[in-house]
Amino acid sequence: MELFECSAADLARAVREGAHSVAEIVEVHLGRMDRLEPVLSAIVTPLKDEARARAAALDIALARGENPGPLTGVPVIVKDNFCTRRIRTTCSSRMLENWIPPYDATVVSYLERAGAVLIGKANMDEFAMGSSTEHSAFFTTSNPWDPSRVPGGSSGGSAASCAAGYAPLTFGSDTGGSIRQPAAFCGIYGFKPTYGMVSRYGVVPFASSLDQIGPFARTLEDLLLAMEVIAEADEKDATCSRALRPDFRKALDVTDLKGKRVGLVREFEGYDIDGPIVDALARARAALLDAGATVVDVSLPTVSHGLACYYIIAPAEASSNLARFDGVRYGLSAEADSLIDLYHRTRKAGFGPEVKRRLLTGTYVLSSGYYDAYYNKALKVVAILRDEFARAFGEADVILAPTTPTLPFRKGENIGDPIKMYMSDLFTLPANMAGLPALSLNGGYSDGLPVGIQLIGPRWGEMEIFSAAAVLEKALGAPRLAGGDL
Amino acid sequence: MALTFQTVIGLEIHVQLATKSKLFCACSTDYIGARPNSNVCPVCLGQPGSLPVVNGRAVELAVMVGLALGSTVQQATRFHRKNYFYPDLSKDYQISQYDLPICAGGRLSFRDDDGVEVSVAITRAHLEEDAGKLVHPSADGRLAGARYSLVDYNRSGVPLLEIVSEPDITSPAHARRYTEEIRRLVRCLGVSDGDMESGSLRVDANISQKVSDGRWGSRVEIKNMNSLRSLERALEYEVKRQRKVLGEGGEIRQETRHWDDGEGKTRPMRGKEEAHDYRYFPDPDLPPLIVESDRLKGIAAVMPELPWQAESRLVSAYGLSDDDAKIFAESADTVAYLDGCIRAGADPKRAANWIRTEVLRVLNEQKIDLATFTLEASDLASLLALVDGGKLSTTAAKDVFDVMVRDGVALEPAMTASGVTAGLVEGSQLEDIADKILAENEEAVEAVRSGRDPKGKKVKFLQGLIMRETRGQADVAQVEDLLRRRLI
Ligand SMILES: [Zn+2]
Repeated sequence: MELFECSAADLARAVREGAHSVAEIVEVHLGRMDRLEPVLSAIVTPLKDEARARAAALDIALARGENPGPLTGVPVIVKDNFCTRRIRTTCSSRMLENWIPPYDATVVSYLERAGAVLIGKANMDEFAMGSSTEHSAFFTTSNPWDPSRVPGGSSGGSAASCAAGYAPLTFGSDTGGSIRQPAAFCGIYGFKPTYGMVSRYGVVPFASSLDQIGPFARTLEDLLLAMEVIAEADEKDATCSRALRPDFRKALDVTDLKGKRVGLVREFEGYDIDGPIVDALARARAALLDAGATVVDVSLPTVSHGLACYYIIAPAEASSNLARFDGVRYGLSAEADSLIDLYHRTRKAGFGPEVKRRLLTGTYVLSSGYYDAYYNKALKVVAILRDEFARAFGEADVILAPTTPTLPFRKGENIGDPIKMYMSDLFTLPANMAGLPALSLNGGYSDGLPVGIQLIGPRWGEMEIFSAAAVLEKALGAPRLAGGDL
Repeated sequence: MALTFQTVIGLEIHVQLATKSKLFCACSTDYIGARPNSNVCPVCLGQPGSLPVVNGRAVELAVMVGLALGSTVQQATRFHRKNYFYPDLSKDYQISQYDLPICAGGRLSFRDDDGVEVSVAITRAHLEEDAGKLVHPSADGRLAGARYSLVDYNRSGVPLLEIVSEPDITSPAHARRYTEEIRRLVRCLGVSDGDMESGSLRVDANISQKVSDGRWGSRVEIKNMNSLRSLERALEYEVKRQRKVLGEGGEIRQETRHWDDGEGKTRPMRGKEEAHDYRYFPDPDLPPLIVESDRLKGIAAVMPELPWQAESRLVSAYGLSDDDAKIFAESADTVAYLDGCIRAGADPKRAANWIRTEVLRVLNEQKIDLATFTLEASDLASLLALVDGGKLSTTAAKDVFDVMVRDGVALEPAMTASGVTAGLVEGSQLEDIADKILAENEEAVEAVRSGRDPKGKKVKFLQGLIMRETRGQADVAQVEDLLRRRLI
């Protein structure tokens, strides 16, 4: 077994036991990245020198008998909207192509504290707006299961690089499905925690009330290990909970689900869903029943309005969050004759078409005279949706649902049709709007493409999701490494 | 029939809160004289990914003002984003409050210059962050003509409390008095230094005229009034200007005007007249701010005495004059010092008199405040006790006071150092002094003895010299008696 096939837990164990040096592990993963990157284009900024220096420092620390943390020696990759001190952070945008943050995102510092080695920064849709990485200003990432297809988005580079073995753990942000949809498309785990579980400090926001940071992994154990590292309180993020987090890895011991109720959303039945996804859901349902769970129907009558409301709230917040890119303080600054000219030219040159589309929408729905008709009304729908979820979780402990309506689509297939592109978020964005935890996991393969399914839990109900996932991993198997034939 | 006019003024006062750190980050608020962009961090620079966290102290200070103004302090309040582009605004939105200000309603009452009671309703007081400062390198420091501008973000994120009045104010003098009272309040509460010149207290005025023929002039906003005097002058100018226009049948343009203190005129601000749509919406980075009732009670419990409360107490309990009471109530420190003196046994009126003349003089001369003043209230009280007991003349006491202040020493050593002993200079000690003075002034002595001092001028002169030599510590009658005996 090659080192790049190993899980993060195994690598950390090997380092602790002295079986492999960090330098060796990092070198193997950099080699994997070098070999596949010409095909996949998952990385915006590889960090080879930095990773090698960090590996050497960790090896010295280990030789001195220190144990820097639970991820010591584990290569990791973060989405390129995570601020990294002295390392450029582009958000895959011309606007920030050369921006070097003066500080680390909290999650980056937690990973560093745990001994992880950052080996690269992953491609994404510009400012996390998109579902395919086709809206990256630099290049489109390929799906490691079929390079003619997209890896999903917006955290497509993180998903593809984890699936292909650049690193056993990668990280992304999820505003409407940006972790779970690419996880499904790349056949791995992708988890969006409860809103407030993980600090958002230092992750360039898309929509602050919906964004949440989460991990990608190829084993459930790795996913939970990653959660234990990043899910900590942070006084720099007022929306991050101060409560103690559970020991997530306890869920790995779960072998049966007696007394647990798995909910199926009645309203999701009406949607057009690809056959292999329907089959995967059936397999999962059977495995959960086998483990002793019961299956119940739950109802979310308002969920069909979710997409429309999401595409009001998220652009509204984005229009304000992205106002600061004005050419005055950082990032792109166009040559201009006047202040207004500076604003116009900088934003015209710095933002791509999808970002502009959403900023225009967001500015419009917040404008006086439209605020109540759009933004305020959308907030009311969100409140109703939250109530409906709360009621549903009175009847079920966890909800089983598709992650996406389709298998990975081909590059260019949806790029000219924003609405069709937005539809791929249909099943993921309700969890963001209600602030709920949700996991995409691999439910099998169809003609060489992975098939993702989703578990949604109640607020702070991470352990419900992970318990069900533990049972499913035992029954359906862990994800396979992608890119074997590349 | 001649038209008459009624002036309608509403004030928006921005008070810079005296917190150590900024409203949403840990940076220092001490920006005056600081190197540009030295008190900054990712949060107040609006770096991508940074997030705000509310400064609890700023909330407390806002609550104190609310309680003092009789506002309803909202237990659940929230922050909104006010979106507009300007280079001094590091995020291109300002975090402010909109539909749920921390303090709603309230009232401020005061006496005008003629002693008439005036009451102004308060609309609201809300928390918001200050912006940075633009520095224009052109010759006259203005934006026009400058090839570029520099931005200093040291002030970015400094907490402000915006206190908005109802349009209840009917004259420029009342606007000035209202502002004086707000300033006195925030100083007394320790909420702000309230300094208009340095921008800790900024006043914007909305002023319009109601005409007796039923017309209403448009509302004009006046900015850039950096002192109480310029506030009153600007509004007086504006009253005249608006009345003249309306009197000639013209219309007042709704606009923002800039007060030019040198010219003594208001002028329309250039290029700022486009209608703004601030697209307010609740800031998703900040959860609703809950001021729990226990916390509210805690703040109420430590509220200092309000200026108007202190003022009436000083009159009723200590018998101070209205004028004296007002001077003392200007600052909580001064009131506390007076209270301390009286508690240590000093006579209220004498203590008030000494503090007003001597203590405040020293503070003025040394440009310090009571916090750094070395003389304890109890030390001053023991000095005044000697004066009251007839053991020390006022003159001698002032000498001792000066030494106590200068050397930072207690009463006893100060008396020794200034060569004063408690009690009267009398008996042989007084005789020795008298003999010395007489010996030094033979001419005068001779004149008196030979009857060339019919009006007693020379005797008074000699008497004065003796009193001075004893630093006023001799009994005048005894001195007169002694001189009469010696000069026969
Ligand atoms: Zn700061």
